Amino acid sequence: MRISNRRVIGWACAALVTGAPVLAHHSFATQYDINKPVEMRGTVTKVEWTNPHARFYIDVKDEKGQVSNWNWEMASPNVLTRNGWKPNTLKLGDEITVGGYLARTAPRMAIAGAIKDASGRPLFASAQADLPPAK
Amino acid sequence: MRKHRATFAIVAAVAVAAPLQAQITVPTTRPPTTRAGGNITAKPPEGPLPRQASGRPDLTGLWLRRGGIGDIRQGLKPGETLPLLPETVARMRKLMANEDPQLHCLPLPTPRANPYPFRMVETPTHLFILNESMHGYRQVFMDGRGHPAPDELLPSWHGHSIGRWEGDTLVVDTVGFHPSTWFDNYGHLHSEKLHTIERFTRRNLGNLDIEITIDDPGAYSRTFTLNFNAQLMTGNELMEYICEENNQDLAYIEGLAAPGLEAEKSGK
Repeated sequence: MRISNRRVIGWACAALVTGAPVLAHHSFATQYDINKPVEMRGTVTKVEWTNPHARFYIDVKDEKGQVSNWNWEMASPNVLTRNGWKPNTLKLGDEITVGGYLARTAPRMAIAGAIKDASGRPLFASAQADLPPAK
Repeated sequence: MRKHRATFAIVAAVAVAAPLQAQITVPTTRPPTTRAGGNITAKPPEGPLPRQASGRPDLTGLWLRRGGIGDIRQGLKPGETLPLLPETVARMRKLMANEDPQLHCLPLPTPRANPYPFRMVETPTHLFILNESMHGYRQVFMDGRGHPAPDELLPSWHGHSIGRWEGDTLVVDTVGFHPSTWFDNYGHLHSEKLHTIERFTRRNLGNLDIEITIDDPGAYSRTFTLNFNAQLMTGNELMEYICEENNQDLAYIEGLAAPGLEAEKSGK
């Protein structure tokens, strides 16, 4: 597989600086692994605009030409909407790039931290949910 | 420079340890608008405290709580610890993360919150707190009644709440909680003796201070108080949140709810 280490280091760096995304409906660490950052480019095959989390599925081709379908979790539609999303922001057939973290047990499942849409525009993907208390 | 090298080494170690999949050309930064409940501004709207015709503060509005989302200890004073009774610790040690009521789309009673707003609606006889999350509503009786007698008190997820004004602060007193609810993702528990006293003080147009006193001799050795703040979400409305419609996560959650508890209790 062709891997850009510089990109991955950048992602790991972002993770160390910001911490893993804190989620509302479940805690990050019980489902995803902060030590397993992953990034990939693929074609959108399905979008689920659903609670408690919106999801998209992408077909990803490896260097041998094998295609596998990945399930990516995002924030909820409510949070996405309040951060500028619409249900059709991602469309079937869109070629996107996404970075995030692998699920601990589920195969081909990950949580999205950052997405670039077909035009290269960065999109909000999941929330830094726990705002620090105001002092 | 040395510090930068050290940071790089740690980062590289993390990166190398990660099993990497797929081909990649990717974003390395997060977009700037990563705020949870929505597009609230870091600074809430400014203005004086709005008042009702009666002269009392008007708490009406859509509010988003800050703090204490995953762990209520964020509401404690710096350095303060929760006065857990040993039996509460023993119960918490056994909790698995996938037992969290929230994961099963069940309500989030006081003092629990997640990053979704709530709307306060006051009538002459009732205050309603409408939670976007889990579509939970709270009913607070404002007509001067007391709590039911203990043998008539039905256990419920949000308990039985009565409210009164003390100056500019709304005080909500709640008993009768369903005993199996959790305070947070960490699994801080309570007993059937839980009694909460919430003090809502709208400081100004954009800020609502929330002080929650937890009185639960069945699970804690003394009362303690949590302090949070909520900000007014302007230009927003409650949105539908049907948690059950695609709850895939439950099947993949693993491990203890409070994996750090052993180390905490052993002083490590």
